[in-house]
Amino acid sequence: MPAAGRRVVIAGVSSHWGSELARVLERDPSVSHLAGIDTSEPEADLERTEFIEADIRNPVISRILPGLEPQVVVHCGIVWYPEPDKPARALHDINVIGTLQLLAACERCDGLEAVVARGSAAIYGSEGAAPGFFTEDMARRYPLKTRFQRDIGELEGYFANFARRHTEVTCTMLRFQPEIGPGLDQPLARYLALPVVPTQLGYDPRLQLLHADDATSALAAAVRNPVRGPVNVAPDGTISLTKILRLAGRPSLPLPHQLAAPLLARVGRQLGAADLYNDGIRLLRFGRGCDNSRLKRDVGFAPRFDAEAAVRDFVAKGAAGRRLVSSVHPGQLARRMGAGV
Amino acid sequence: MNATEAAAGATDFIQRMRGGLDEGLDPMEAAERAATALPKALRESIARMSRRLAGEYHEDEWGFDEEFAEAAYPLFEFLYDVWWRVQAEGVGHVPSHGRGLIVSNHSGSLFPFDATMIGVSVMKEHPLPRWTRGLVLNWAFELPFISFFLRKIGGVPASPFNATRLLEQDELVMVFPEGVKGTGKPFSDRYRLQRFGRGGFVEVALRTGSPIIPVAVVGGEEIYPKIAEAPGLARLLGAPFVPITPTFPWLGPLGLIPLPARWRIEFCEPIDLSGYEPEAANDKALLFDVSEQVRETIQAKLYDNLVKRGSAFL
Repeated sequence: MPAAGRRVVIAGVSSHWGSELARVLERDPSVSHLAGIDTSEPEADLERTEFIEADIRNPVISRILPGLEPQVVVHCGIVWYPEPDKPARALHDINVIGTLQLLAACERCDGLEAVVARGSAAIYGSEGAAPGFFTEDMARRYPLKTRFQRDIGELEGYFANFARRHTEVTCTMLRFQPEIGPGLDQPLARYLALPVVPTQLGYDPRLQLLHADDATSALAAAVRNPVRGPVNVAPDGTISLTKILRLAGRPSLPLPHQLAAPLLARVGRQLGAADLYNDGIRLLRFGRGCDNSRLKRDVGFAPRFDAEAAVRDFVAKGAAGRRLVSSVHPGQLARRMGAGV
Repeated sequence: MNATEAAAGATDFIQRMRGGLDEGLDPMEAAERAATALPKALRESIARMSRRLAGEYHEDEWGFDEEFAEAAYPLFEFLYDVWWRVQAEGVGHVPSHGRGLIVSNHSGSLFPFDATMIGVSVMKEHPLPRWTRGLVLNWAFELPFISFFLRKIGGVPASPFNATRLLEQDELVMVFPEGVKGTGKPFSDRYRLQRFGRGGFVEVALRTGSPIIPVAVVGGEEIYPKIAEAPGLARLLGAPFVPITPTFPWLGPLGLIPLPARWRIEFCEPIDLSGYEPEAANDKALLFDVSEQVRETIQAKLYDNLVKRGSAFL
């Protein structure tokens, strides 16, 4: 990878992570030209990013992209949750067809050196008896059970196919664990900030929540140093949902999962995660751990926050302005009674 | 702390609490002040509980919660000392630090208590006690309650990936290569070792350079003598098998109480594999050789200990 003068295009620049990446790359002197593609203008204040209004689902992208002469294309257009201009029923189209069209456009770009996609660890599924830490070669060990898992599975298939046919292009598929962060307003953060958090009785998933700062830095690190094949982006260690809720001082309401699943689906819809993507329900029952040694070794990026530190930071800085520790928690009374031992 | 002291403490607590409320304190403050009347042991356990309720406890990356395991330990210790009168031999063969792979026969149809009893014997009888990390049948990790209980006391789903990672972290790992074939065999086949998987445990030991410690457990076969199966119910529950014993399901929940057989656990001389390169793990013939060697060692020790134990219950 040449050190200076790279031309980078970010597809999906108006998404949260697309904007965050653009902000980081704008300060990077090795990026000579930065362009962003999306259906609406980014809300973030970007200075030297050339914005092009286009839909990656539309074949017209095959005429726009080669004109930008990119050396690196970053695909941030894979969305996990519906957004204001991206309704739930369009997510399959955006994720799968969008990726397909973007890759078709990449085929027309001469001088393309790398494609980096911001994917999801959902391809591993959430299973009770799964290995504690998935490594990159363990994708599709289990049948893909939710709509989101199947979408990710399908688009990773296209991506791997593209990588096989274009050996001159370095193709990186980043598999992100769910993110959490003080400023990040996403369904998972809203779930943890509910006054009473419904959980699934008898299950305590091991989760890896990636700190938002690490999520952006990992993406930028992969753009600077793309490697071939999939890479897990996950923090060190794991944390159980019970411990997260206790650290956050949230009372939980455990319900049998036969009841909780429909309720959680409803709650999920209210929180902005479409029920179509009931991936979260399985995640909150069985959890998922990913091995991040390839991220550290090959990409050369080590997350700054481990799974527990990410949650502590989220709680300490207040989840998007919500007060997390309430005074009626039973732990408060016990703490006062046990004081002075 | 005896019962009268506890009762006195409780009465004192209620009196002070009422006194505090009469003085116009809010309930939280009154409780805080009244708590000074409680005995020290109780206040300590309240302090521990409050710390845990605030999320201030440690779990490792597998979800193992040492404090929780310590809290559950007395129950297993009771089973070990009183109920099953376990006699352990050769615990010194377990390495006091660093990686090691305990390989044992599997028994006890309904709840395989052999894993916990091996764990307790290492904790109780070893000069340098340490926790063992058991590889548990995958199905258990799909179940509510059982899944997180097992994880909190140190169990992980049985998979070579988990075993390898744990050994690389220098843990003491326990594996039962017979799997369900061992726990689910009828009472008439007791102490006859079943097929030892596909030699996967030897492969893991070779790759990680861990010594194998064969262990023979006598007594686990008598706690739930399986006389028949209920295959229809097993299919309904998705369980590997549902046993029928002389007490289960006839006595309902009482049938879940294991019979008080006498146990013997013998830890054998470790098999040192450090002479082999990790690449030797690709040599299938070697895997089967070592696997067979371990199997024969355990089988011979099982017969030995059956004789040494004598009568099963008295």
